[in-house]
Amino acid sequence: MADERESMSPTKIGLGVLWPTFWTGLPIKLAFAVLFLAMGLMHFEGRLGLAFLMLLASPVTVFALPIITMGLESHIGEGVGIALLFMIAIPIDVWAFGVVARTFFLEKFRKEPPDGLGMTLWWKSALVGAVFLPILWLIISTVTATAISMVHSLFEIELFKGIPVAERISIELAIWGSIASLVLILLLLIGISLVGRMIRSTAEAAQPASDNYQRLITRWDLMRVPSDQGLMLTALTGTGVVLSLLFWAALPVTTPHPHECCKKPEVKAQPPFKPLEALNKDEKMIAQLSAQVEALEQKKAEAEAEKDKGKGKAKAGKESAPPAPKKP
Amino acid sequence: MQPKLKSKVRCTDREIGEVTKVVVDPLSHEISHIVVSMNGSGERQVAMGHVQAVTDSVVELRTQSADILALPPFKRDDYVTTHEVEIAHLEEKLHVTPGEVLVPFPELEKNVKRRTFFMNFTHAIGFLIGLPIAFPILRYLMKPMYQPFDNGWLKIGNVGKIKQDDIGVQFKYKKKVKEAYMPESEIEKNVWILKATPAVLEKVYQGKDMEFRDAAGKPVWTNKKDIPYVAFSGKCPHLGCGYKWRQHKVLGQVFLCPCHLSIYDASGKVLDGPAPRPLDALPIKVSAAGEVEIIDMEFKAGTKSQIRII
Amino acid sequence: MEQPSIPSTQPTAIEKVIAFIDERVGLKQMQAKMLNEPVPGGSRWAYVFGSVLLFIFIMQALTGILLMFYYVPTADHAYASTQYIIHDVDYGWFLLSYHFWGSTAMVVCVFAHMSQVFLWGAYKSPREMIWLVGLALFGIVMGFGFTGYLLPWDQRAYWATTVGVEIMDKTPLLGDFMARFLKGGPTPGQMTLSRFFVIHVMILPAALMGLAGLHLFLFRAAGPAGPFRGTPEEIRAKTDYFFPRQIWKDIVGMAVVFASICALAFWEPVVLLEEATPDPGDYHPEPEWYFLFLFQLLRLKIFAGEFGQFLGAIALPGAFMALLAALPFIDRDPERNIFKRPIALIGWIVVMVSILLFTVSAIINREFLD
Repeated sequence: MADERESMSPTKIGLGVLWPTFWTGLPIKLAFAVLFLAMGLMHFEGRLGLAFLMLLASPVTVFALPIITMGLESHIGEGVGIALLFMIAIPIDVWAFGVVARTFFLEKFRKEPPDGLGMTLWWKSALVGAVFLPILWLIISTVTATAISMVHSLFEIELFKGIPVAERISIELAIWGSIASLVLILLLLIGISLVGRMIRSTAEAAQPASDNYQRLITRWDLMRVPSDQGLMLTALTGTGVVLSLLFWAALPVTTPHPHECCKKPEVKAQPPFKPLEALNKDEKMIAQLSAQVEALEQKKAEAEAEKDKGKGKAKAGKESAPPAPKKP
Repeated sequence: MQPKLKSKVRCTDREIGEVTKVVVDPLSHEISHIVVSMNGSGERQVAMGHVQAVTDSVVELRTQSADILALPPFKRDDYVTTHEVEIAHLEEKLHVTPGEVLVPFPELEKNVKRRTFFMNFTHAIGFLIGLPIAFPILRYLMKPMYQPFDNGWLKIGNVGKIKQDDIGVQFKYKKKVKEAYMPESEIEKNVWILKATPAVLEKVYQGKDMEFRDAAGKPVWTNKKDIPYVAFSGKCPHLGCGYKWRQHKVLGQVFLCPCHLSIYDASGKVLDGPAPRPLDALPIKVSAAGEVEIIDMEFKAGTKSQIRII
Repeated sequence: MEQPSIPSTQPTAIEKVIAFIDERVGLKQMQAKMLNEPVPGGSRWAYVFGSVLLFIFIMQALTGILLMFYYVPTADHAYASTQYIIHDVDYGWFLLSYHFWGSTAMVVCVFAHMSQVFLWGAYKSPREMIWLVGLALFGIVMGFGFTGYLLPWDQRAYWATTVGVEIMDKTPLLGDFMARFLKGGPTPGQMTLSRFFVIHVMILPAALMGLAGLHLFLFRAAGPAGPFRGTPEEIRAKTDYFFPRQIWKDIVGMAVVFASICALAFWEPVVLLEEATPDPGDYHPEPEWYFLFLFQLLRLKIFAGEFGQFLGAIALPGAFMALLAALPFIDRDPERNIFKRPIALIGWIVVMVSILLFTVSAIINREFLD
């Protein structure tokens, strides 16, 4: 057992701590992510997978992400919810690091975990991530772009021009995919090993743990049981209920992506009805119209009178009084 | 106490062997026999009646060893083990093994607080998975249950066809209905309209104009008590059947419902039968030319108070 | 003998009810036998996928039942009723999108579960039957995805199914019969919709529940395989019971999957295309994402022609499934450590990478279709 301890490679250490830490924090981060999505505080288009990975690995991405987004102009999504989510992730990650690192120290290093281990490991990993990940991002983007263009030009050669589309797509993908994947895996291993080195140096300063194997296992196992169960569980359930209520309030009742067939019509507010104004307007209109009718009737009477002058005075009496204009 | 396997068996004169098997009666669940090894000279099946006393390690018989030897040899083929037959609760009643077979708790499970914590934690998380979807599911299922009312006026005919006062005349009409995603369809409905004399009108309105309100309480229409035309919903307020205008041998001309024989007079008042309230009057408009319009409403059947449902 | 009146804690009402049932049914012992199963090497997150699959199935059944309150499986109303659910019923869009993404989650978890069992060598003796039942369950999950896809009756649904059933037609001897059986005729129509509906809603759920029960029973009879490495001392030190630790891990896994499906429902709610018509128009038929790799494979020239299509669509996948079924019987080596089984490890990587490669190729290929 002692040999295993001495010879544990930094990569193994890094992976052995980072992998559980990521997954330990994830359930809590996801609950908030779902709430923010329901509230419309964040939107992701094509890069959902990447966003998920960034969130999963938030101990190391929390500072790297803004650097990548702003420095390299590469967005994973929009909305204030993303920044909020990563800020909420900080205390979650500190706690997760604490639980996992203490387990690891006891079981694998056989050392007493020092106080504040979670906090220490968190800010150190965040720092490593902030420096390493943007570099990794740059390298991978460049390598992928180069590989893709290289492979495209490869297929311009006469020898390969005849290869049909489906085959060509798969061969191209296989070539640049493997190159990019290899570089990615290599860089990730380097990054993990850096974190592992950092953890190992923290462990070197720690006191050895004197218990036998079974007792060490029992220690880290019981570490997960809070001293005040009732309080922790009530707090957890209470928070969950509050988040659920927020979720119910925020959840859109009808689909945020309606189909052309069934878009809800824009409801225009009815203009306010002002009775006095309406009456005045109507009265004015009526007066206008009656005046018009009168004028027309007069014209008609004059026209008839003109016609009848020619037809003799006997008929003039009939046309004497034009009919009184009736109010409509 | 039940005889234990491997106990020594002693007759009045000497020890004859050990209990190798125990036979249980499948119906009474009681031990019926023990099988004794007879120290190698062939097992014998001994009825419990021969047993004098039983202790943890010895079974004492009240007979002589010769009598036991005289019993026929034990036939194993006539029996099966308790694992090969399903007899409910049998294992609980049998205590024939001396001692117990035990399995240790794994080290990690010895802490009771730990077990209860994870059990409660599991319940909490399970609850928190179900809770967010409970409300949306309820609203989802309730969507069509409370429909807003359609207060549109429908033309149903002309009062010209009413020839006499205080006589019920049926007006049939078609109503356009669009349900959810179904294409628009028409359903046939009917109302009974009366040209009422002042006496009957008084019985219908009882001195007050009839106000109709929508779900929010805003007034939709008021039937003035001096308009002589009254329209009754075609559905009987008892259980919703369609009723008729008929000549009754005692009560005269009445509205009569064939389903459960509710009888109403011309003003809709209940004369006989199980109807809980009078006929439901509907909003009615009659134009100068005699064109009748109503708002189609339906009310909950079987209740004393009038509760609008459509 | 005088009995001092000690105020003893009276059993609560619930405790009395439990005691009543326990007397008659042996509840406490049954519970103990179900829950107190020692997991050698301790509960593990890697083991959660089986329970998570059960959870996903229950959620699919629940959301599916809710959808059936409004969906009608007739060619004249299937599309309209689905659009009604999405646009008019309160939160209908969310429940439908949950059901849709839940099916994706199920396929992903099935792959994860099968991979975990394979890598841990938990298909080897004495667990051969669990593996075989598991393969049948895998087929049922794929069947669910295929039959459910048709139900909205939009262009995507109709044409993906048409192409899919045509592929099945290529099976020798039984192909034409099977295709006509599924279509309920020579071409897809109302009969197809009715058949796919009853298969999706009655036959497959019954089959899944029966086989899942068998799967669990066989698993219990064999016991958990446990980790593939570690000294006996290490394994014993970490051993705990199924309840509460593994159950707790299972439920956290379920919560993560539940949240992920909700997140996907928000990211891409279900949007239908136009209603299905016999003319595909500009639409390029495509199956669900988990069939895309097969779909792309069939575009390769080596699988052109009648024999080629048979080879690529039926023979190759069939042979692969047969290999998986035969696996516990050809791989007799009791070694379960994946790092000491190079063929298994390399084989798994090759299969996973190939599926990934052809799935992504199919997506890239969309650009080249016009």
